[in-house]
Amino acid sequence: MAQVELKQVRKTYPNGAEAIFGVDMQIDDGELIVFVGPSGCGKSTLLRMVAGLESVTSGDILIGDRLINDVSPSERDVAMVFQNYALYPHMSVRGNMSYGLKNRKMDKAEIERRITDAAKMLKIDQFLDRQPNQLSGGQRQRVAMGRAIVRNPQVFLFDEPLSNLDAKLRVQMRIEIKKLQRRMNVTSIYVTHDQTEAMTLADRLAVINEGRVEQMGAPMELYSNPRTLFVASFIGSPAINLIPVRFDGTSLLAGDISIAGFSGLPKDKDLVLGVRPDVLTVSDAGQFAISVDLVEQHGGENLIYGSLSGVSADNGDAQEMCLKASHDLLPGIDEKMKLAFNPDDAFVFEKDTGTRLI
Amino acid sequence: MRLNHNQKSARSIFLDHGILMLGAVFLMLPILLMIASSTHTSSVISQQGLQLLPGNQAGPNYVRVARLEAGFTDQITALAMLKNSLVIATSIASLTTVLSMMAAYAIVYFKFPVAGLLFWLTMLTLLLPLESRFVTTFQVAATLGLVNTYGGMVLPALAIALGTLFFRQLFLSFPGEYLEAAKLDGAGPVRFFKDFIVPLAWRRGGAIFVVSFMIGWNQYLWPLILSTDETRYTVLRGIRLIGLESGPGMALAVLTILPPLILVILFQRYFFKALVDTKDSF
Repeated sequence: MAQVELKQVRKTYPNGAEAIFGVDMQIDDGELIVFVGPSGCGKSTLLRMVAGLESVTSGDILIGDRLINDVSPSERDVAMVFQNYALYPHMSVRGNMSYGLKNRKMDKAEIERRITDAAKMLKIDQFLDRQPNQLSGGQRQRVAMGRAIVRNPQVFLFDEPLSNLDAKLRVQMRIEIKKLQRRMNVTSIYVTHDQTEAMTLADRLAVINEGRVEQMGAPMELYSNPRTLFVASFIGSPAINLIPVRFDGTSLLAGDISIAGFSGLPKDKDLVLGVRPDVLTVSDAGQFAISVDLVEQHGGENLIYGSLSGVSADNGDAQEMCLKASHDLLPGIDEKMKLAFNPDDAFVFEKDTGTRLI
Repeated sequence: MRLNHNQKSARSIFLDHGILMLGAVFLMLPILLMIASSTHTSSVISQQGLQLLPGNQAGPNYVRVARLEAGFTDQITALAMLKNSLVIATSIASLTTVLSMMAAYAIVYFKFPVAGLLFWLTMLTLLLPLESRFVTTFQVAATLGLVNTYGGMVLPALAIALGTLFFRQLFLSFPGEYLEAAKLDGAGPVRFFKDFIVPLAWRRGGAIFVVSFMIGWNQYLWPLILSTDETRYTVLRGIRLIGLESGPGMALAVLTILPPLILVILFQRYFFKALVDTKDSF
């Protein structure tokens, strides 16, 4: 159990390509931190730097109070679960789990005890003598977790561990990982590109974009108080509605429509209004008039997609709007609706820099 | 229409199999000739050529081979020559397999700056078979005092670049995560080789073992040049000694193909797997 600290960590590849631009981060003891971002944003690189699989160009990484920049991966006291599990194909489940312990010259009885405990916890005790190719995807995933657990490390590292599983199993394993991490109380870093996974798992999450941490905080904080346009658009499913607007001193103007209730915004800049689908309500006095294109019925709720009249998006198409409504609101295609929102629940961003203004 | 289609495919199956069988017979013919001829007297062979039908001289011919005692001091026996060939071929096969596995391991997993260059230099040796560098190789062997030794017959044949190429391609197909997971599990380079590379590659390595065994077994010119000592005669030289166009010569030739044949039968599962199977089956 330990804290992890990143101080101005940078990664530049020998060919000059820069992957990580000065990341500062403090991870508390027992905390589950999720790195989330689009592919190629550097989240895996950062994780691999903590694991010791990538070198650190500059800056410091500390586990506990120990500087580990130049410590070999096996001596950092971290265990990693890989995306494709990386189970050793020629070793049994037991062999996979014991390999790292044997290399550390651990006592045989102790190895056996740890394997038994971990296997019971993960419900893989009846598979211990099977080869990895005799296991299903979910079982392999469990073995990969088991291999990390028996090490009893100070830090768990997860590199998109659920992305090879089918949707149902993914949700199930997600819950199990969370429970397991709670129970073992081991500091963990979890990398994913799936924002739902990130939101549900994280104690705190770090949204990473182009090698920088855009914002770090509790999931709900990032959802309701995003600092940048990128964070607002990345967090939340269905995605936030983003409407290009300008400010005329009293109202926001979007195409033909004008939205009151905003003040203190710059007049000469392109702005973006962000409204979450769940803060929109149906009301005759609503600011937006949409024509329904599609209704997705999710059972408990309906997602209503429509085009916003009088506003065109940047690419020239009609501006799409999404509304999250209860399952009994079921409009027909092309039906006209009026949607209202409270300006206090909306965000306004500067378009060029992505900075949040309101 | 459907009937027509079926008839057509039946006919094409006949055709396909016909072609395959013809090919098989054609390839088998020299071996059949050799086996049949080994049961005839030497005079039949020298006067009427090789025979396709079995004769009645099998017993005497094979006994003659078994009792062969030739050379200046009668030290050249069939058994001694077989032993020499086996020692040389087995050494070449096992050393080639191990060395090319190690070379490929170094090239693939240690990303040192000249790895690529070294790999292509290795490949270049494919263009320089042993036969093309006999004179210099003999000078080196003579200087090192390897004339008339097993070492001298084995060492120059070890540089079989094919093995390195084969293992390199195999290692490149292993997911990089094996190495990374092993690193986190505390495996250094030697341990990774011992615990991962060898167990994952040895089945496919069987193919390289068989191929290099054949190369070693079939060597004729190099042992001929390097050895004057009768105790170092290989079985291939023995055929010449006993007479090419003779019944006993044919009998010895038949015995000569047995060890590689047995090896191929033993290894054929791995052999075909290595050549045909491109999927991950390790």
